[in-house]
Amino acid sequence: MRQLTRARQLLLATAAFIATAVSADNVDLSYCTVCHGAHGNGNPAIRAPKISAMEPWYLRRQLEAFRDGVRGTHPDDAAGQEMQPVGIRLRDEAAIDAAIAYVSSFTPKAPPITVTGDSARGRALYATCASCHGPKGEGNQTLGAPALADRSDWYLVTQLRNYKAGLRGSDHRDTAGAQMRALAATLPDPQAIDDVVAYINTLRESR
Amino acid sequence: MNQGLSRRGFLQMVGAFGGSAAVYQAALGMGLLPAVAHASRPDIAPLTGKRRKKVVILGAGIAGLTAAYELRQKGYDVQIIEASHRAGGRNLTLRGGDLIDECGYPQTCRFDRDPDLYFNAGPARIPGHHSALLGYCKELGVPLAPFINDNRSALVQDDAMFGGRPIRNREYITDTRGFIAELLAKSLKPEQLSAQFTGADYTRLLEYVRQFGELDARFTYTGSGRAGFARHDYTGPETLKQPLPIAELMKSRFMYLMSFGELDDQSAMMMEPVGGMDRIVAGFMAKVGDCVRTHAQVETVRLTGNGVEVVFRHKGERTLLTADYCLNSIPLQLLAGIEHNFPAEYADGFTAVQRGKLFKIGLQMKERFWEREGIYGGISWTMQDITQLWYPAHGIHRQKGVILGAYTFDDETGEKFSRLAPAQRIELAIQQGEKLHPGYRSYVESGVTIPWHRMNHMLGCSARWDDSVRAQWFKRLQAPLGTHYLIGDQLSYHSGWQEGAIHSAFHAIADIDRREREQAARVVAA
Repeated sequence: MRQLTRARQLLLATAAFIATAVSADNVDLSYCTVCHGAHGNGNPAIRAPKISAMEPWYLRRQLEAFRDGVRGTHPDDAAGQEMQPVGIRLRDEAAIDAAIAYVSSFTPKAPPITVTGDSARGRALYATCASCHGPKGEGNQTLGAPALADRSDWYLVTQLRNYKAGLRGSDHRDTAGAQMRALAATLPDPQAIDDVVAYINTLRESR
Repeated sequence: MNQGLSRRGFLQMVGAFGGSAAVYQAALGMGLLPAVAHASRPDIAPLTGKRRKKVVILGAGIAGLTAAYELRQKGYDVQIIEASHRAGGRNLTLRGGDLIDECGYPQTCRFDRDPDLYFNAGPARIPGHHSALLGYCKELGVPLAPFINDNRSALVQDDAMFGGRPIRNREYITDTRGFIAELLAKSLKPEQLSAQFTGADYTRLLEYVRQFGELDARFTYTGSGRAGFARHDYTGPETLKQPLPIAELMKSRFMYLMSFGELDDQSAMMMEPVGGMDRIVAGFMAKVGDCVRTHAQVETVRLTGNGVEVVFRHKGERTLLTADYCLNSIPLQLLAGIEHNFPAEYADGFTAVQRGKLFKIGLQMKERFWEREGIYGGISWTMQDITQLWYPAHGIHRQKGVILGAYTFDDETGEKFSRLAPAQRIELAIQQGEKLHPGYRSYVESGVTIPWHRMNHMLGCSARWDDSVRAQWFKRLQAPLGTHYLIGDQLSYHSGWQEGAIHSAFHAIADIDRREREQAARVVAA
């Protein structure tokens, strides 16, 4: 890492060498579906979660977080680091609006269930989550909590692990993330994460 | 053999009784042909039915272009749907003004506009046995030039030996061989050999060892001209270099790479198209370009009862295509995110195969300084992350040149570079290049970086099949599902090479041809 940091410091010195960045008006929204799959329904082969049917306000917050380096800059968050420069490309509100409108045009599909865990144990653990994300995982915009049911389950596991390990929610500007980080820390072990996500999967039918 | 029968006459006689296969086998036995089997271009029967069979090809890379070129000549109605802004796939030559379409970091190449200043960011060399690709080069009028892959005068650098000071490739190979030969000659005793060896064999073996290491009359290695001379001033006698200390040489991991230039795919004669690898794409496009649609991203591939349906998106508009056959070269890792109605025992393979993360950097140098060091073409090796420097064999003695400043095969290193912004990647490559060529930084004018696992519409290069995944999935994915065929170098035993892509296309179109011939025969019978 020391070498990388040094390279970062030298960035200004070498600005003359680089190929020219393509101008911002050339934002290609096909990027969204190249990684996140047709209709944004996710692609686990490249660790890209489902983004279809995501709440516009939550999409905006995450795109801004990536753009501003609040998210996806932790050196151990390899997948987040892939998304972060894409966020930087969305330089103005118009570009973010266009991305959100594009995602809203997708036909969402229920993602496959891939996580196995003890959903009975998960149900007990979910009590903490329910206060913000709702008893049916339906989300709560007032509290800034997105819906959880119908998301890529493997991605929920990854994000809970990331919160727990401080890969997400560590930036001082990320107040919502800091809350999640504190709550993820209360999940005692990796099995608890699988269990709670297994329970969230059962909420799909009840909604 | 009959005295009056010539070898040619004998072969004709064999052919009359056993067919051409027997001639071939007999010729092998007589030493007239080398025993190498090549995949040959399928002899596709021209369509004779009233309805032209429709084929939709997904991806305008080398596999898709090959299939389109062959099928169109035989009357098939072919369309190619390509997601990117250009045809060619990973056959990508970058010149001044070109877009480098990396997710998150789209860049424009800033090389000078000059016929010799280009960078082959994907495939960059063709071995002489890649006969299918070479056949197309010949047929499409793509001129080829020798490509220098192995240059004993290029450098080897490893922080682990000689304090990081580079040496010439020829020094490493010659001095280690000399040492090994001397060791073997001095420790080998006749009684260690099995009974089949005679005293004369023992002498011949020692002679081989002497030649291998260039040992002197007493089987001692005292240096060799193969390592290069201390001076090249022919007004006086040549002076051998002192052999380098073996203990230092043995510290280097270069021992795992020193045979690179002897590999089947890497040894002379290697070739490259004059003016850039994408001259091959241009050659194909001159023939089939009118059926290629770019900026068209596939959303859905669905098998129907009697063919395939494809939905693609072009400038926000969705189009539905129906076809009798679909040849699909979409990278497996992206296909995993496309809507389809394939059964799990087929589609689960898309995520089972891992994607490679090859990475390249090209640097325009304001002066061809390496030629002043006696390096003309070839590869210098370093055990640093950049791994290789390639010196262009074209444009020799011109003012400027584009060198390859990094080529990494190791996925972890590829990821390490890709996590940096392009300017930082180049900075890292310059720092490492300095260890091979002091003053390196001062020559760099502009650079391009290509992390293939971050390139738009690709996100990987090349398919990584480990043995268990190969055993479980290859045959299943190579076989058609209905009339849907997966193609591309990913569906070959030679991923990362254009020849593998072409063979995959041959495999698929030969099967389509078989089905069409069978159908035609049924029609005739009815």
